[in-house]
Amino acid sequence: MTTVVRIIDLIKYYELGSVLVKALDGVSLTVHEGEFVALMGPSGSGKSTLLNLLGCLDRPTYGHYYLAGQDVAGMPDDQLSDIRSRFLGFIFQQYNLLAQYTVVENIEVPLLYQERRLTEETRQRCIELAELVGLGQRLDHRPMQLSGGQQQRVAIARALVNDPQVILADEPTGNLDTRTSEEIMQLLTRLNQAGKTIIMVTHENDIASWAKRVVRMRDGIVETDELNTPHWLRDGATVSA
Amino acid sequence: MLLFIPTVVVERGWRNIVLAVRSLWLHKLRALLSVLGIVIGTAAVIALMAFGEGSMQDALADIERQGATNIIVRSVKPPDESATQSRSFFAVYGLTEQDYERLHNIDTIIRDVPLRVFRQEIRYLGSMHVGRMVGTTQHYTIVHQTNPIAGRFLTADDEEFRRNHAVLGWTVAKQLFPLQNPLGETIVIGKHLYKVVGVMPERMPTGGSGGSQAAEEFNDDVYIPLSTCNSRVGARVFLRQTGSRSGEQVELHQVTLTVSNMDKVRPTADVVRDLLVRFHGPKKDWAMTVPLDRLDEAKRAKNRYKMLLVLIASISLLVGGIGIMNIMLATVTERTREIGIRRALGAKRRDITFQFLIEAVVQTGIGGILGVVLGLGIAIILPWLWQLITGSHLPAKIHEGSIGLSLGVSLVVGVLFGWYPAQRAAKLDPIEALRHV
Repeated sequence: MTTVVRIIDLIKYYELGSVLVKALDGVSLTVHEGEFVALMGPSGSGKSTLLNLLGCLDRPTYGHYYLAGQDVAGMPDDQLSDIRSRFLGFIFQQYNLLAQYTVVENIEVPLLYQERRLTEETRQRCIELAELVGLGQRLDHRPMQLSGGQQQRVAIARALVNDPQVILADEPTGNLDTRTSEEIMQLLTRLNQAGKTIIMVTHENDIASWAKRVVRMRDGIVETDELNTPHWLRDGATVSA
Repeated sequence: MLLFIPTVVVERGWRNIVLAVRSLWLHKLRALLSVLGIVIGTAAVIALMAFGEGSMQDALADIERQGATNIIVRSVKPPDESATQSRSFFAVYGLTEQDYERLHNIDTIIRDVPLRVFRQEIRYLGSMHVGRMVGTTQHYTIVHQTNPIAGRFLTADDEEFRRNHAVLGWTVAKQLFPLQNPLGETIVIGKHLYKVVGVMPERMPTGGSGGSQAAEEFNDDVYIPLSTCNSRVGARVFLRQTGSRSGEQVELHQVTLTVSNMDKVRPTADVVRDLLVRFHGPKKDWAMTVPLDRLDEAKRAKNRYKMLLVLIASISLLVGGIGIMNIMLATVTERTREIGIRRALGAKRRDITFQFLIEAVVQTGIGGILGVVLGLGIAIILPWLWQLITGSHLPAKIHEGSIGLSLGVSLVVGVLFGWYPAQRAAKLDPIEALRHV
């Protein structure tokens, strides 16, 4: 199995006034291709900090972070941007679509920031992704015209467009009702089954139970790291395609 | 590869322009209000340029009418004359026939027109018009660049044989002959009879330029041969005014000299001045006007006007630019989250800078275009309204250069004042920005 993410002794300290906050106090974690990891923990446990570091939005105080074989921990800002646009897919709690763009254009955004041209081909890929997440009929809609679940589907399509090494999801169902949450989780599970590596932050056990591996954090360190049988396997049900 | 990268850049630029327009469209009114400063600044420049250019052209045309190669020498009643020569019944002053002969002999002068001018009553049957009787020669039409619209002007024969021929100014002709053709009719000027041989067209009066040069209204003139004038009027003229009588002796009221070419106007003017100073001594009973000097004056005035305009434009564009900067800072704060999203999805700092810079430039560019349209509108409509309301002419000439210039300046203002907000946007921490509500 290929290693996608490997972090070694990651430390992140903040200075909050005169107080030193140890957000991460030595975290090591390895994620292989095709894994579906749920990152859990109470607020203040450091899971968001860890996700920011994994997403190359922040740099650790100490430690190493190998993403697709490169040590990205000490990279300058521009290079980190480049890593984000080529290797990472983001799904946020707030969907975070851009209001000026249509569904297809929103899916296209990560490609805008790669040093490549947008062609009819890339446009076609975006349309296919929109169809994949079930929004083939709403290509020209604006985010405002979509429901929360639909917006999150667009966000998922957007996270797939650059064919990332890993998809980082930050409470992807946090703003959705139970039924829609279920749909979104089914979609993520399907993507995982298709081979996508997913790291998802959540504080809901229900949601975490969809993952194949659950990492619990507390006070800046990994408390437990155990494999999990997704609930739909336990129940003997299958995810409907 | 060399061709490939520019295409990416061009594509990206275009995409950012489209994005900017869409972003602005989300806040149409705000965008419009924030570029108001630019709009007004640009419009002011376009309109003021047009009016400045128009009045400059009017001034040039005026000078042209006086003749840029002309030197005008006229008799002036010295202010102290009545006091120092109170015993003398006649005030003797001004240019003499001798002066005329001397001026006539200057090499560079190719043409000269002497004038005697008297206020006279001009009569035809029962109608009467008070105008100027002007004694002159046949060259008058050449020097003053005008030609009769009917009949002919005075000729050398008229002069030689002292004929009683008269050419009417436009107003005189209209007053005395409202319904009939004046040609061939006989009019009375003062006590003498003259036959009308021609009518002059309506002429724009020349503007006065202060000092020696008074405004002149030509349409009240009646032109007769100078020789006829001399024999009819003589050298001395009585003026009867209420309560007093006075007389004056002025041999020539004005001599207009035409110089062979523009370069020789100034040296010739110096010679003329020297001559007159030598023979008139300290007596300031003459004055010289060189229209060419007025040309320079007009050019200096134009330059001053331009400086003023640049000042106004700079101030209004500065104010406009600050307006843009203000609204862009607000936009950046408001769209912090969007910036965070874009950064997370791979935008580099320079991508963000570029995006907001383009937005500022698009905004000022649109402001510039609106300003040009508004300015052109003002420059076209205002003279028309002016004409309609006051009946007078407001000259305006649209200056093509000012359009390009003000559009260019608007874009530059966008870059200058968009830079700081764009930098602020780019420097935002992506995590903080994403957390922004």
